[in-house]
Amino acid sequence: MLSYILRRLLGVIPVMVVVGVFVFSLLHLAPGDPAAIIAGDTATQADISRIRTNLGLDRPLLEQFSSWGWATLRGDLGVSMFSGIPVTELMAQRMGPTVSLAFTTMLVAVVIAITLGVLAAWKAGSLLDRAVMALAVTGFSVPVFVVGYIMVYFVALQWRWLPVQGYMPMSEGFWPWLRHLILPSFALGLGYVALIARITRGSMLEVLSEDYIRTAAAKGVATVPMLLRHALKNAAVPIITVIGIGVALLISGVVITESVFNIPGIGRLVVDAISRRDYPIIQGVMVVFAAVYVLINLVIDIAYSFIDPRIRYS
Amino acid sequence: MTQASIPPRGKVADFVRRNPTIIIGGFLLLLITLAAIFAPWIARDPIAFEPINRLKAPSAEFWLGTDSLGRDVYARMVYGARISLLVGLTVAIITVISGSVIGLLAGYFPRVDAVVMRLMDGIMAIPSILLAIALVALMGSSVKVVIIAIAIPEIPRVTRLVRAVVLSVRDLPFVEAARSNGTRVAKLLRRHILPSTVAPLIVQATYICASAILTEAGLSFLGAGTPPEFPTWGNMIASSRLYLQIAPWTIFAPGICLALVVLSVNLLGDGLRDRLDPRISRRM
Amino acid sequence: MTSSRRTVLTAGMAAATLVTVGAPHVARAQTRPARQVRVVPHGDLNVLDPIWTTANMAAYHGAMMYDTLFGIDANFTPQPQMVGKTDISADRKTYTFELRPGLKWHDGTPVTARDCVASLRRWQAKDGAGQHLFARVADTPVVDEKTFRIVLKEPYGLLLDALAKTSTPLCVMMKAEIAATDPNTQITKHIGSGPFKFVEAEYRPGSRVVYERNPDYVPRSEPASGIAGGKRVMLDRVIWDIMPDAQTAASALMAGEVDFYETPPVDILPTLSSAPGVKIEVFSKLGNVGQVRLNHLHPPFNNVAARKAAQLAINQEDIQRAAVGNPQYYRTCGSHFTCGSAMGVEDGSDVLMLKAPMAERQAKARELLKQSGYDGKPIVLLHATNIHVMNQTMLVVAQQLRQVGFNVQLASTDWGAVVTRRSNQNPPDQGGWNVFYTWSGGNATSSPISLFAHAAIGRKAWFGWPENAEIETMRNEWAAAPNLEARKAVAVRLNKTMMDYVHDVKTGQWVGPAAYRGDRLRGILAVPESLPWWNVERFA
Repeated sequence: MLSYILRRLLGVIPVMVVVGVFVFSLLHLAPGDPAAIIAGDTATQADISRIRTNLGLDRPLLEQFSSWGWATLRGDLGVSMFSGIPVTELMAQRMGPTVSLAFTTMLVAVVIAITLGVLAAWKAGSLLDRAVMALAVTGFSVPVFVVGYIMVYFVALQWRWLPVQGYMPMSEGFWPWLRHLILPSFALGLGYVALIARITRGSMLEVLSEDYIRTAAAKGVATVPMLLRHALKNAAVPIITVIGIGVALLISGVVITESVFNIPGIGRLVVDAISRRDYPIIQGVMVVFAAVYVLINLVIDIAYSFIDPRIRYS
Repeated sequence: MTQASIPPRGKVADFVRRNPTIIIGGFLLLLITLAAIFAPWIARDPIAFEPINRLKAPSAEFWLGTDSLGRDVYARMVYGARISLLVGLTVAIITVISGSVIGLLAGYFPRVDAVVMRLMDGIMAIPSILLAIALVALMGSSVKVVIIAIAIPEIPRVTRLVRAVVLSVRDLPFVEAARSNGTRVAKLLRRHILPSTVAPLIVQATYICASAILTEAGLSFLGAGTPPEFPTWGNMIASSRLYLQIAPWTIFAPGICLALVVLSVNLLGDGLRDRLDPRISRRM
Repeated sequence: MTSSRRTVLTAGMAAATLVTVGAPHVARAQTRPARQVRVVPHGDLNVLDPIWTTANMAAYHGAMMYDTLFGIDANFTPQPQMVGKTDISADRKTYTFELRPGLKWHDGTPVTARDCVASLRRWQAKDGAGQHLFARVADTPVVDEKTFRIVLKEPYGLLLDALAKTSTPLCVMMKAEIAATDPNTQITKHIGSGPFKFVEAEYRPGSRVVYERNPDYVPRSEPASGIAGGKRVMLDRVIWDIMPDAQTAASALMAGEVDFYETPPVDILPTLSSAPGVKIEVFSKLGNVGQVRLNHLHPPFNNVAARKAAQLAINQEDIQRAAVGNPQYYRTCGSHFTCGSAMGVEDGSDVLMLKAPMAERQAKARELLKQSGYDGKPIVLLHATNIHVMNQTMLVVAQQLRQVGFNVQLASTDWGAVVTRRSNQNPPDQGGWNVFYTWSGGNATSSPISLFAHAAIGRKAWFGWPENAEIETMRNEWAAAPNLEARKAVAVRLNKTMMDYVHDVKTGQWVGPAAYRGDRLRGILAVPESLPWWNVERFA
């Protein structure tokens, strides 16, 4: 057991190295010179070179990579090339909104998707099954920003039920925090409903076709409690996997939603940084996101190995 | 199974009744593909414009109105099908082929597995949209680059899928037999193992296709999509997003097409999966 | 693990409880300080040093928290601001400035002449007009605590205009020890003497900038006009809410979540104005001037006939209609200097054939292109897709150039990539370019000296690198001219020369109206290239 955990932990290291190399080379090989952007409109060639030297951009790539790599390991993600504010501080300021949005979105998606998935599996092959799955897919078929704009137009502008945009931290009150997150969570969450519903349906079907379930049904055990107690319990494992994958997808989806709803989260931070070629921010955020993803999957894998001993030895 | 007494028409009707999703999905896709192929015959130039014609509502001259430059929305929608479908299809093909090759090798050779899966995990760990934007910034915005940028984050998932199948099939008796017979590895992989991966791969490919078309729209929204001169449904929606209340036809035309294609591809995928997965088709 | 069902139920109950518990907070969170304004500016403030960068947002920031020696009023006439008494010697070579009483830095210390001289020196290192001025400055001696001089080598009529301008970089005053920072390094401390204080603790780059009223600021007694006159602050806080998405910003204004939206795309103005309480107003009457810059270093545009062909092919009306849309807000202009300003005279623009029908212009353009010996090699147009006006303009320009025979290749990227690539002086197929587009403020463009883009000094000039000795001579003539009439005369000749040489190609002018809650705010000043918040009252 312990050796499995240790092995998995060690396995994280090469993955993070891959991420680090990937992220660094991606940026430094890209055209787009932050020095030119910083220098502004009326800068001359000389100005730009001076800024490059100032920012350490003219050192050899390998040197830049190793100094960045060591600093990152120590927890020092550098400072923004534009504002000079430490990357860790920038990220800390914007963690709250992104985590809040991710949490509420997952909640919305999971609740709706599991309901639909269970329903579809129960009546597999019927019209209801088809209709429910088609409904799930519809949420996925329209780009997030279109769904967002349409929701804002009706719910926020016409009916005035909810705010158009913005984010309120919890410190300003739970209800303000929540009401600013409702529209974005639904706009983003609907996209994940299809994926989670599909997996739920699939694994429920697997369980439902197991002999003991069919025996119980034949014996006359009431369907709904049986569904919920036995089937869902056993189907939980793959569902949780998908939620783990969902976290990574969520980070991607959050980027667009934060722009549409003006949520000052990490997604917008990194998109702005990319257009300005603010390397330290881009590198720092990508590495942190990757680490979060790897950690969450690690936790899930370890949790599995407790539940299903067979997995440990694969 | 003797089918001699059942007339062929009944067989087809039977198939349709049992697999409505495959039929509906397939039919819609066929329609849209035909429109894309015959675009020059059914629509005018999607790129030329006169600014004086901008933001005109649908009329006899411009069936779906004009956009903010004065370009024909209907023409752009039809030509847009070409690139959108191309993006979806190419991404699906690239990911399936690369994923299969890598997955086969990783599943069969443990040493390859160790290295490759770390690489795949690394790629999966980086948020796909950030990776895509960075790739487009690196290599410039063109259809080719956008396809690669969307495909790369999808490859690890296909790889895992294929690898999982290979792992489960590798030690089965018939593979053992072939191996002890002296069959060369390449032939072994191709003849005996690959066929088991085909069914789940096809299903996965349809989902990837749908997802790619949507991701292209998202990338266009963030400014990292295909060059706006040449229409794709994604970049049409993104560049018209300001006009939701002013000229809704500029968004709804490509939006509905996008939704329809994604829906049909998904239906096709769901239908195929149900058909090919013995556990489910048995229940039906 | 029956957790799934239980979890769902528990979560549901928890949510219900929290919602009811949270309800009383609704009232508290919805009231805001009565004298607070939320503004959506045109861009993001990510560099806080208004001298180090020439980004317009930094100039806005400068105008809020810093003060200037002089400031232009609504008629573009320089007026004293921090300066109390000005004395100009008879030979017009010595200017003596005495600071007015009551000027204090935000940390409480008084403003001294030493601070001003240090700030002037730092500013002129980075500013075109400043450099032009200081090339003629012999010395800037400090006379006493409140007095200093600028001693010139020769008379320079535009001295006060240079100090008073609003175009970036503003000549802002900083504490001497901060102004001592190398002009090529950013300042790290932000202490101004202006009517607002910058609240650094609440600053979120890319998201929010917060200013609060400076209670110790002593405004001048004159009424506010331009950035001159008394800067009386009637608000407690001004929050800049950075919203890059136009649809979101527009919706926020209509819902009342923000009070001022600086640059709504012209196309959504009808929607905005139909919302109750929203007012549309043009604050920057000279607007913006678009320019297509041609690369003079490499073929085909190193040949004047090819440049003339491009100049004829580019049709301002079509570009403006596509980029701006509503004719109420744009105009064509046959001058390199802003039409509507004193120097915006269209004489000398016959070569543009503005009155001739497009077909005739295109025919002439094709002829000229053939004359130039153009070989059909693709020309690279840098196309910034993420800024609406740029995106639309370049698509139109590409079509217009193609129509006269150019083989156009659009390099579509974001603005950041354009900014990088345009500084590359290599041939287009080695990382360089042939054509790019941007715009400059109408105010800055009206002056042959203020706008660096007007210089024609070859490789040291602004991107495009035009080189023409005649133009340079006339620019100096203009600066040295004794009065307005004389300057106008020079401007006419300069315009004609620039058009015949095809310095660059202007694409027309437009004004960007702002949209704001007229049912809550009044007193917003119309200042070119600036967005000041003194004089503004919130009454609802």
